[in-house]
Amino acid sequence: MAYALVALGFVLALNAAGAVNFAHGDLVVLGGAVAVFAGLWTGLPGPLLLPFVALVLGAVGILAARVAIQPLAGRPPEATFVATIALAAIIEQGLTVGMGAAPRTAPSIAGSGAIDLGGVTLGRQPLAIVVVGIVLIAAVWFLLERTQTGRRMRAVSSDSHMARAVGIPAGRYVMLSLALAGALAGIAGALLGHQFLVAPTQGAGHMLKAYIAVAVGGWGSVPGAVLGALGIGFFETFVAAAIGDAWATAALYVAVLLMLVLRPQGLFGEPVGRRA
Amino acid sequence: MRALGFFWFAVLLLLPVLALLLLPPFGQRMVILIGIYALMGIGYQLVFGYLGGLNLAQGALFGVGAYAVALMAPALGTLALPLAPVVAALLAATVAVPMLRLQSHYFALSTLALAALIDLVAVHAEGLTGGANGLAGFGGALPGGSLLLVLVWLCVVTATLLQAHLFHSRFGPPARLLREAPLVAATLGIDGGRWRVVAFVAGAALAGLAGAFSATLSGVVSPDVTGFPVMILCLTSVVLGGSRHPMGALLGATLAVCLPELLRDLQGAWLLAYAVATLVVVRWAPEGMASAIDRWRGGTVPVAAVPSVPGPLDPIGGSRRLVLANVSKHFGGVAALSDVSFEIAQGEVVGLVGPNGSGKTTLLNVVSGLERADGGSISLDERRLDRLPAHAIARAGVGRTFQTLALPDDTRGADIVRAVASGAAFLLLDEPAAGATDRERAELAVLIGGLREAGRGVLIVDHDMELLTRVCDRLVCLDRGAVIARGTPGAVRADPRVRASFLGLEGVAA
Repeated sequence: MAYALVALGFVLALNAAGAVNFAHGDLVVLGGAVAVFAGLWTGLPGPLLLPFVALVLGAVGILAARVAIQPLAGRPPEATFVATIALAAIIEQGLTVGMGAAPRTAPSIAGSGAIDLGGVTLGRQPLAIVVVGIVLIAAVWFLLERTQTGRRMRAVSSDSHMARAVGIPAGRYVMLSLALAGALAGIAGALLGHQFLVAPTQGAGHMLKAYIAVAVGGWGSVPGAVLGALGIGFFETFVAAAIGDAWATAALYVAVLLMLVLRPQGLFGEPVGRRA
Repeated sequence: MRALGFFWFAVLLLLPVLALLLLPPFGQRMVILIGIYALMGIGYQLVFGYLGGLNLAQGALFGVGAYAVALMAPALGTLALPLAPVVAALLAATVAVPMLRLQSHYFALSTLALAALIDLVAVHAEGLTGGANGLAGFGGALPGGSLLLVLVWLCVVTATLLQAHLFHSRFGPPARLLREAPLVAATLGIDGGRWRVVAFVAGAALAGLAGAFSATLSGVVSPDVTGFPVMILCLTSVVLGGSRHPMGALLGATLAVCLPELLRDLQGAWLLAYAVATLVVVRWAPEGMASAIDRWRGGTVPVAAVPSVPGPLDPIGGSRRLVLANVSKHFGGVAALSDVSFEIAQGEVVGLVGPNGSGKTTLLNVVSGLERADGGSISLDERRLDRLPAHAIARAGVGRTFQTLALPDDTRGADIVRAVASGAAFLLLDEPAAGATDRERAELAVLIGGLREAGRGVLIVDHDMELLTRVCDRLVCLDRGAVIARGTPGAVRADPRVRASFLGLEGVAA
């Protein structure tokens, strides 16, 4: 479920900025790190830290786009490719220098232990992650589909020239989308950081999963990205039960490669065609 | 050597020679390492620098070469060294063919998935790779010290010279087109997919060779060599050095090896500084350090040769015909083309007219293969063209131009020259007179006359009725995707249906 948040942020940023942000996975790790240190310094409980993390990472998301994506908008794709990879390396190295390479634990948001639900034992933290995830995804859906702001964000994402032509201040809504993307990444990192710890090298893995989710769900499709992420989660859980975690991940990569060979437009197809 | 220039050639040769003669073993080791990273970087430049492909597997392929040597050396001795790049290249080849048809973001993802897969196998296939501990003790028969330095740098010099010759002489212009205007490249018959496969496999071989030398140098391999940091190092050093400069990889490698030594006091933070430097370079000096050094030396940056006006054309014999029969195309519910049929013979000039939105450019796209027709057929004599990819149609003899300039430093008419130079028997010209001065229009008329004399068949889309009346044998008029009139220019212009569809433009067109 946390992966769904990562993928959601990734696709929102992708649509808004028109480019893949290879640093997105490191934003997730950064969110976890912020949760770790904010928790240490303020002693606030997990749930209260989330809004703080969201704000900080929202700002970072905007900053990242200002530094590495928007200035390179007119250049060929290799430029943003390199710039966002460099940014990812900067964040990862910055975290290594700042907090050391050893993994840290983020504060949990629901305490440890488990709950009994109708005979099934569920961990409190994983349950809390699912709940927070569903709430956030529903909130984002509501924002995008049912509010004027969200409609404008979508308009700018799909055709920024046209949006400007009808008077929408595109720059502002691009920033809003990117801030939201950053916030989602940060929250995901804070949620994952308790169970899976926070280590500077995790960024690449998160980014790859988000990238796969978006490709599987249809490049640029927001619901596709969420479904893709959930699909990855299920795939990994079930396959891991049979052949172990590591090989489940390997199977995922093989499946992705096969999919790219056989059906590159993803399971749901690309929502937008390409004009020659 | 001419492509490299005397200055850089001297640098290329002096570095290893001086290292051999003057440096202690520690210094020689560093120079070997520079050579190793340079080899990987040159391989990376092939796909990333010259063709603009977003490749993220180079680091993992380096690791494949390293592990290949570790596994083969105990049995095969020094033979493992040339075999390792073959292993890497074979691995790249098996995944390359499907991967390289993909658009850029999918290509990046497939290389990323491949790299992640290789890394996973390295870490977890303990029976084969020794798992997280890796392999050691295989280096007995392998060269070391000065011999290794000579070997590595022989490869570096060869690779640099070859790459300079290939991409700065022969393949420079088509590679540039492929990188900056892939659609135009396709219509000139350049098969982008095949180029990328070859470049990817060759690049993989170089990465494998570099990895092999690396394993030889250090005597151990571990999953460190297949991890993402190697890839990032490769990418950043190539970008810093200059991704399209023949010495870019070497310069970047020098930086990557020397900087940690110079910034020893900063320890881990040197990587941070390095990444920041990369970001700075991408934004403000995208050509990289090697080109910056060239500029500082006062050398001129070589500008791509812009094709000049073609001289007298060689006549093309034969009586071929380009036939469109019942061609249809829709976008969603909109019929962009419905049931369009006409033909062009060699030595004929046909004009395609119609109001904006009538489907003219769509028709050109469909004929040249950039879009697929939904119905009908397009044939060159007996040969069906409508199912072929764009570059194959171009090779069959159909060239085209576009309304916008393909490259930033193109002059007007450069794309016509390129299309003519491709030797196509039939040329599709998309609004060649748009925005032209009177003199340019006159030159265009002469050029088209020359094309007819030389036996080419020409289909011109334009709004300039006056020009078309002068140069065309026949006109075909489209309105909302269907042919509404055809015949001599005079007849078509007088046709009441044509007048009606151009309502409002009569004063301008007449």
